[in-house]
Amino acid sequence: MARRTRKYADDVPFSITSMMDMMTIILVFMIKNMDAEGQLLTQAENLILPVSTSKVQPTEVSLTVVIDKEYVVVDNEKVVPTPDVLAQEDLCVQPVLTTLYGKRKAEVDQHLRQGLPADEAGSVVVQIDKSIPYDAMYKVMATCGIAGVPSCTSSEGETGYEKMSGYTNVSFAVLEKNGGEE
Amino acid sequence: MAKEIKKPAKPDEPDLLPAMGLFTILIPMLLSMAAFSKLAIVQVNLPERSMINPNDETPPPDEQALNLSLAITSEYLVIGARGGFQPNVYFKEMWTFRCKSDAKLITHAVEDVKAVVESGHGPKCKDGSEMDKEKYLYEIEAIELWAIQKESEEDPGRVIWALYSNGGTPEEPVADSAYVDGNNNFLALPGEGAMGLTPPPALKKPAAGTALATLTPNSARTLKPDVAAKNLIYPLSAYDLIAKDLIAIHTQFIDLEDVDNIIIVANDDTQFDKIIQLMDRSKEAGFSKINLAKLGG
Repeated sequence: MARRTRKYADDVPFSITSMMDMMTIILVFMIKNMDAEGQLLTQAENLILPVSTSKVQPTEVSLTVVIDKEYVVVDNEKVVPTPDVLAQEDLCVQPVLTTLYGKRKAEVDQHLRQGLPADEAGSVVVQIDKSIPYDAMYKVMATCGIAGVPSCTSSEGETGYEKMSGYTNVSFAVLEKNGGEE
Repeated sequence: MAKEIKKPAKPDEPDLLPAMGLFTILIPMLLSMAAFSKLAIVQVNLPERSMINPNDETPPPDEQALNLSLAITSEYLVIGARGGFQPNVYFKEMWTFRCKSDAKLITHAVEDVKAVVESGHGPKCKDGSEMDKEKYLYEIEAIELWAIQKESEEDPGRVIWALYSNGGTPEEPVADSAYVDGNNNFLALPGEGAMGLTPPPALKKPAAGTALATLTPNSARTLKPDVAAKNLIYPLSAYDLIAKDLIAIHTQFIDLEDVDNIIIVANDDTQFDKIIQLMDRSKEAGFSKINLAKLGG
């Protein structure tokens, strides 16, 4: 008996639906992954973090202060040009203090609404370009520490916020050193 | 005539090819944008506002305390304790760049880079091309401090060379950990030629089977053949010299109440990278409470 040959249609369309599914999954995964890394992932060209042996991971999303060669940025808002910070004599940087004070007040208000203690120290993650002079870093850090008062010249907190402390838990963002001695 | 029954037409599949094209562009783009370096934090606790009242009187110095400080200037590092200072650890600052043109590392002295930039050029890469003179600062891969041996203040000094483990690849070696011998001394010698920039011929890479250690506790090991072959002779880092002294001080004064405290003191123009390196070395030596201060301020 002659072997029966199967007939194929002349024009079988190439289905890329499964390929599309795969691409969609990869794309969603990658976008999600980038989002999960949070604010620390966004590094500008003019912000190169130093490499450190520290293995401490940032536990929660804190307020971020960025110091690059051009600006001091608080929570994605350009506050003051870095050269101005370097030029001033005073340790306290008033524009930075004003912004930080507003953020700190909002944090304390939120704590009070949630019934949490309001006198806890604030936390801030500072991202500093590795070649920024110590002077700029020191001034911004000192300003973070006194962010419980509205002005560089005041020593008392505003009414209702007398016990508010500044951002005294400061963490410097660094790049973890790869390899090396364990 | 029998009515012709029309077969339901197969629904047309949407044309997914343009979407595929878009995805094929998006995925490599996202991959190229993704940062694969792991981020970490270095924590510092600032004094509370009430504790930094300028009207507060400075407490009298505790004679029994260690009062350890580590100062960095543009020329040297120095450890101070109980009002005294150890000898200065002089260094030559070197900047390592990764060239965009050939993706290779180049290391230049800071003075040379500044002189080249002032003459209107950028630092030179291995392939002969020049880096962008406006943006070269953003391409600094590492700020290295090469320890130099000086006989006097006026002596320009000679670079000290030491044996390092290789943290890079055989093609692109990167000095990782400095080795010490059984007496906790670096395997190091001053270099030859101008400024000691030529490695000393007397400093040889130890053969496999040699017992060595690094500054990390309990790191004594016998060199395996593959590790011994990969080791390199590289300028000794001033950070490593200071780290060794810090470890010795922490061990010697372990009973003191303030043995975990250290104050890092720096000039206004010290780069932030140097502060982080000093904080790393201090933490590794056991100084967990780090304070920062300004030199002469």
